Amino acid sequence: MEISVEGNTSDSSVSHQSAIDVKGLYKSFGRLSVLEDISLSVKEGEVVSVIGPSGSGKSTLARCICRLERIDSGEIYLYGQRTDGQKHSNSDIARLVGMIFQQFNLFPHLSVLDNLTLSPMRILGLSREEAQENAMALLKRVGLEEKQNARPNQLSGGQCQRVAIARALAMSPKIMLFDEPTSALDPELVGEVLEVIAGLVDSGMTMMIITHEMMFAKEVSDRVLFMADGNIVEQGHPKKIFTSPEVPRTQIFLQRLLAHFGKELTEGEKRGECSHGA
Amino acid sequence: MELDFTAIAPYLHMLLTGAKITVQASVLSVLFGAFLGIIVGALRVVPIAPVRSIAAGYIYIIRGTPLLIQLFLIYFGLPSLGLNLPAFIAGIIGLSINSSGYVGEIVRGGIEAVPKGQWEASKVLGLSYLKTMRFIILPQAIRNMLPAIGNEFVTLIKESSLLSTLAITELTMVGQQVRSVTYASFETFIVVGIIYLVLTSVTSLFLRFIERKWNVS
Repeated sequence: MEISVEGNTSDSSVSHQSAIDVKGLYKSFGRLSVLEDISLSVKEGEVVSVIGPSGSGKSTLARCICRLERIDSGEIYLYGQRTDGQKHSNSDIARLVGMIFQQFNLFPHLSVLDNLTLSPMRILGLSREEAQENAMALLKRVGLEEKQNARPNQLSGGQCQRVAIARALAMSPKIMLFDEPTSALDPELVGEVLEVIAGLVDSGMTMMIITHEMMFAKEVSDRVLFMADGNIVEQGHPKKIFTSPEVPRTQIFLQRLLAHFGKELTEGEKRGECSHGA
Repeated sequence: MELDFTAIAPYLHMLLTGAKITVQASVLSVLFGAFLGIIVGALRVVPIAPVRSIAAGYIYIIRGTPLLIQLFLIYFGLPSLGLNLPAFIAGIIGLSINSSGYVGEIVRGGIEAVPKGQWEASKVLGLSYLKTMRFIILPQAIRNMLPAIGNEFVTLIKESSLLSTLAITELTMVGQQVRSVTYASFETFIVVGIIYLVLTSVTSLFLRFIERKWNVS
């Protein structure tokens, strides 16, 4: 897997500009309040994992950031630009942030290659040749260059998600959001997708990963957010969140998980820590 | 009673000429009707409420009134507004508009059957509403709609018989002429019916062929 190693070789190269700034975000669906006064800042190059029980508002937060949901009140800034209103077109937002869905959402009537080239050609104005060249490089990066002519229904779930990641990267976004990228996958296909995401982490991409893969979150994140009932209950370095959470709500959540993951999760880290701390 | 088809045999070529007009009128109406229907169906789902209401009202009126009355309004009614249309043109317009109402409803259903995730993925990839519709939603919706559209085409061939009321010499009109010359009513309309059956069967087979081909690719 080819990886460009800029961004996390040294701390000094990491810009401390904010990539995502969320201030006082409220969102409800009808009478159901989903997000309550969420404030959050993600630095350029930072990898933030969001964990928490179902219905805690994790997905809604990501969907608000990429403007799939209108917010009730609050402010969202991407690279200093306020993006929660209607001032920006879809293409403006797409240049800033890419989104990966649980259900992949590939375009079933298009080949893998056409899935990747459609937006770059129609939105970024690339020629077919340029777009295909970029697309092939991205497919190679996710290990699927031989699938360029396949239709999505000929791929496994893991392959679909890798194509979806390549498709999002084809727009060269500055930020990538992952909304439970492996939750719809058969267990044996989770690894290949996490591997691709880990490759992106190493490339210095700013990322927000909503996941139930706790070991993965612990390994790759600079910071972990624990959300429950529409609030960010606790956040911090993964080691701190997983080994010594301070808030009782977090402790209860992790204790329940412990039954599934065993001691590995709450003990010290296995892999080298990412150099740019939270 | 006995059926005697020999009486109408000399007029068979006239019936076939009439059938040709029926086919021409149907094909033209299907094309214009489908074109108009896709627009109406697309307007039926735009995120602008007044536009949706207008499209819904159009479909409501078209589907709620008889084709015959629509044809009369265009052919006999419009001249009072100073618009005199040749019968064949008026007939094509009437059939097309009528068909567009039904196709519009089929298109709406086809569009709404495309999963929401396709809209969301398109949006985060930067596609505008119109580009999403054109490149992502419609190509998938048309595939969903194909069987229903096929039925609509078959219906339209049969309903084109109403063009006889505008004195267009299509199959049914010619049938009436042949009957008035030969007085062989039963025989004439049996043959006319069989010709319609052949037309609708060929159309059905053709559409099924296209459907299968489309589903494979």
